[in-house]
Amino acid sequence: MSMSRQLAWRLFKHEAKRGELSIILFAIVLSVASVLSLSLFSERLQGALTERSAEFIAADRQLSSRQPIPSEWLARADSFSLATAQQISTRSMVFANDQLQLVDLRAVNEAYPLKGSVKVAPQAFATGAAVDRVPTGQNAWIDSRLLQVLNIAVGDDIEIGDSIFTVEAILAEIPDAGFSVFNTDPMVLISIEGLVAANVTGPGSRVNYKAYFTGESSDLDDYFAELKGELNRQTHRWLSVEDDESPIGESVARAEQFFLLASLLAIVLACVAIGVAAQRYAQRHFDPVAIMKTLGASTHTIRAVYLYQIIFIAVLGIVLGTVIGFMVQQAVVSALAGTVDVSLQVWYWRPLAIAVFTGSVCALLFCLYPLLGLFAIPPLRVLRRDMASTLKTRGGQYITAGVAIFGLMYAYSQNLKVSSILFVSGMILVALLLLATYGLIALGRVLGQGRMSAAQLAWARIKRRALDNSVQLISFALTLMLLLVVLVMRNDIVQQWRDQLPEGTANYFMINVTDAQKDALTAHFKANNVMSDDLYPVTRGRFSQINDDILRSEVTKEEGDTRNERRAGMGREANLTWGLTLQNSNEVVAGEWHDAWSPETSDLPEGVYPISLEVQAAKRMGIKLGDILTFNIGSEIVKVGVTSIRQVNWQTMQPNFFFVLHPDAMARFTPTYITSFYLPPQRKSELTTLLKPFANVTLFDVDARIEQIRSIIEQVSAAIEFILVLVLIAGSLVLVAQVQASMDERMRELAILRTLGAKGGMIRRSVIYEFLIIGAVAGFMAALANEVSLYLLQRQVFQMGTSFHYEYWVLAPLTGALVVGMLGAWSCRQLLQLNTTTLLRKVL
Amino acid sequence: MIKTTNIIKTVSTTEGELQILQPMSFSIEAGESVAIIGASGSGKSTLLGLLAGLDTVSGGEIFLDNAPLHNMDEEARAQLRGEKVGFIFQAFMLVPSLTALENIMLPAEISGLDNPVQRAKDALDKVGLGHRAGHYPNQLSGGEQQRVAIARAFITEPKILFADEPTGNLDAVNSENVEHLLFRLNAEQGTTLVLVTHDEALAQQCQRQLLMNGGVLTEITDAQSQRPRAAEDEARQA
Repeated sequence: MSMSRQLAWRLFKHEAKRGELSIILFAIVLSVASVLSLSLFSERLQGALTERSAEFIAADRQLSSRQPIPSEWLARADSFSLATAQQISTRSMVFANDQLQLVDLRAVNEAYPLKGSVKVAPQAFATGAAVDRVPTGQNAWIDSRLLQVLNIAVGDDIEIGDSIFTVEAILAEIPDAGFSVFNTDPMVLISIEGLVAANVTGPGSRVNYKAYFTGESSDLDDYFAELKGELNRQTHRWLSVEDDESPIGESVARAEQFFLLASLLAIVLACVAIGVAAQRYAQRHFDPVAIMKTLGASTHTIRAVYLYQIIFIAVLGIVLGTVIGFMVQQAVVSALAGTVDVSLQVWYWRPLAIAVFTGSVCALLFCLYPLLGLFAIPPLRVLRRDMASTLKTRGGQYITAGVAIFGLMYAYSQNLKVSSILFVSGMILVALLLLATYGLIALGRVLGQGRMSAAQLAWARIKRRALDNSVQLISFALTLMLLLVVLVMRNDIVQQWRDQLPEGTANYFMINVTDAQKDALTAHFKANNVMSDDLYPVTRGRFSQINDDILRSEVTKEEGDTRNERRAGMGREANLTWGLTLQNSNEVVAGEWHDAWSPETSDLPEGVYPISLEVQAAKRMGIKLGDILTFNIGSEIVKVGVTSIRQVNWQTMQPNFFFVLHPDAMARFTPTYITSFYLPPQRKSELTTLLKPFANVTLFDVDARIEQIRSIIEQVSAAIEFILVLVLIAGSLVLVAQVQASMDERMRELAILRTLGAKGGMIRRSVIYEFLIIGAVAGFMAALANEVSLYLLQRQVFQMGTSFHYEYWVLAPLTGALVVGMLGAWSCRQLLQLNTTTLLRKVL
Repeated sequence: MIKTTNIIKTVSTTEGELQILQPMSFSIEAGESVAIIGASGSGKSTLLGLLAGLDTVSGGEIFLDNAPLHNMDEEARAQLRGEKVGFIFQAFMLVPSLTALENIMLPAEISGLDNPVQRAKDALDKVGLGHRAGHYPNQLSGGEQQRVAIARAFITEPKILFADEPTGNLDAVNSENVEHLLFRLNAEQGTTLVLVTHDEALAQQCQRQLLMNGGVLTEITDAQSQRPRAAEDEARQA
């Protein structure tokens, strides 16, 4: 054994020194480096994004409850080394200046918030700045809107319940304010002691208790596992950043999927690169193996020598790859430093493990078949130089390769769906390519007659090396397909994000616009050059009955009535709007929109008008088409029948509604109106003038929220961009390696053609034609496979709309032909620069 | 040293089985030097492959130093080659990524001989290339490469040496050097030599000449060996 190891080491040392291992070493280095840099970067980025998203729930985990949270639970969190904070919220009346206003009252302890920060503004509606404290004692921080409504200023007193509070600051933002802007009242932040003194959380009041937790994610999971048994599904809700259904949560989730995809593709690219390199490596060792066998080496010795050799190469490749991958990742993070706040302090072991595992598995499994072929080289090759391996089946190679690729993809993603989609589309591509190659060869047979021109020489070559070419074609096409998938996926994701919040997205909302002010307001805004959205009528109604089910009032509500609990989930007060036009980004998914409804043709009972419900709300309350709903509006009762269910895109920043009624149902009510408008940040100071004529109108400022979402989306887009560049570089290097590898095989032929006096130009042209053809076919096939895998990925994994990417059907074959052709020309040029003797010497 | 009885070799082709060696029986005694001559494609190299245990017969028996090659599997034949056989090839067949010295050490290491480095150095000195020990095959001339191959062939002190066109790729001067070296070492070590060649002069230096003609082997008598050209012509006409 030691002789084999010594021999293997000697071969390794010399081959490494002489650069003969460069191709296979390069492939392993590339695979380890790209997998490591991609997964390390994405892990770090995910860490950073999770951290950012955590700000939106003010902690890593949140427990929300309708009952007070036992202090024992919080004490127990201590033993798991978790930090905790508390918030109690309710709706209450605030009294000041002889006016009453319903507010969203939030009481917090001093530890709040655990993530993110509370921001206060120097004046009403101004941009807030973070402060690292919260109100204490009898101080209150209040929303700009409240200053406006109650006509008070900082320093004034307000009354809440039994207590008087002093307005200490203008509250601009709290981290977990939520995104719902239509059903919220102005917010007031006080301390928990203050809340106790105010005495507003007595029986009958609707109170929400929240406990916040931060700590190591394993500690958090352990704590939750222990607490789980004591939680009541009806009362408690455990929330983590991943549960975030806001645009941020969705963007982060989608970005994570993209990183996963990119890393998976990097793994496949690595496999392709190593597969190609291993084949070439084995071929170059046919002679040494035959010599060693002739000199008496046993099969065992040969196996040991080459397995050691592969192990040495793999170890070197992995070490170099790790170093390079780490440096690349570091460089990317530094380059992105301005845009994405990614910490370099944290070291993640998983990416390193994955990269090393990928390197080893790729090296061993993808070298396995070429090595088996190598072991089967007959010693007689020393006499008959044309004798190749006696190992015949290529099926074994494909199966090993397939199993290895799929295994790696699954091991890495733990996601059967993504792995299967990529794998199956890859397989379809391979099958199609094999068919196409043989088709081409048949065609070539017809065309390849007559005088020998460069084109015909190319055809002849393609024809002769049918199987080699099909393998080459497959590797080119696979590489191109993977690059296309990453490229298109990136474009589609970024585009959809941009569409979600286009420039000029409304950043302010106004409610309480009266019927009389409607036209004046529109004209005033127009005069001030501010674009406002349509005005939607709104009336608040009390939702009282679904068919014959009376929704009990909150006071008498009993625990355990799950149907009503679920139905109560909506909240009894509802904002009702009406209209005949279906809003943008609303889509009827069941029933029919009521624009063509008329009482004469109606299936509904007399006096019952149509209503359209949002799909999630309908689901939550167990309402289906045809149900009759009852609303109390003031002293009147309105009965409506559900005639349509709508899917609403809540991620658009426009007024969206759960309930849209037929206008006839509401004809007797005087509504107020809601609208939104966009005001550029630099014009923020004009707000007061803009709203002056409409003192009763309430303004919601969502500018900060939008900016937050936008900045995260921009960060994620920038990161995705870099990942794309990394994958593109890895892919291009694989292409270069493939062309180089095939040049090796062509060298002998070039030498002979050259010796026979063929002109350099003709040889070069023939090689270029050959690569152009292969590149174009590979590009076309890649476009086809790309379309299939994108369709599946976007539908099944990214949950986004699919589209046909016709431009890539033209671009891919063109780019394929161009890039592969150019690489071919370049490699060929290198060979043709050698003189014929050197060329001959290299091949003989 | 070598005894063959009715050996044949057939290969399968697209047009069916093709017999490339007709039944032949002959013996080569220990210490003898024998040249196998014949036209290209006459089956010389096929016969060499069979005698050296690189290939298997389709019928008949071959004994190499009393070992029944026809009954042995590849592993056993490899072991036998390692212990008793040396090789020299027309294309030198040195391992390109090993130095001259390491190429020579290779068979000694494979056979588990003591002190392979010293043995290889001595062998390299014997072929006059002690100063090129650290050079790779592509840094050596053809003649030098073949001298390294000769050193490699003799390092294990084989009982029998097979040489396939050893001077086929060399110019006249180098051919002469290599021939000289080959026969000198052969005489020194008392090795049995089986040589396949086109080169009449080289064949003449062997004690016996066997003529291969269309898969049929005949021994050339002294009278015939005076006109080998005519023998070749006959072979072609046949």
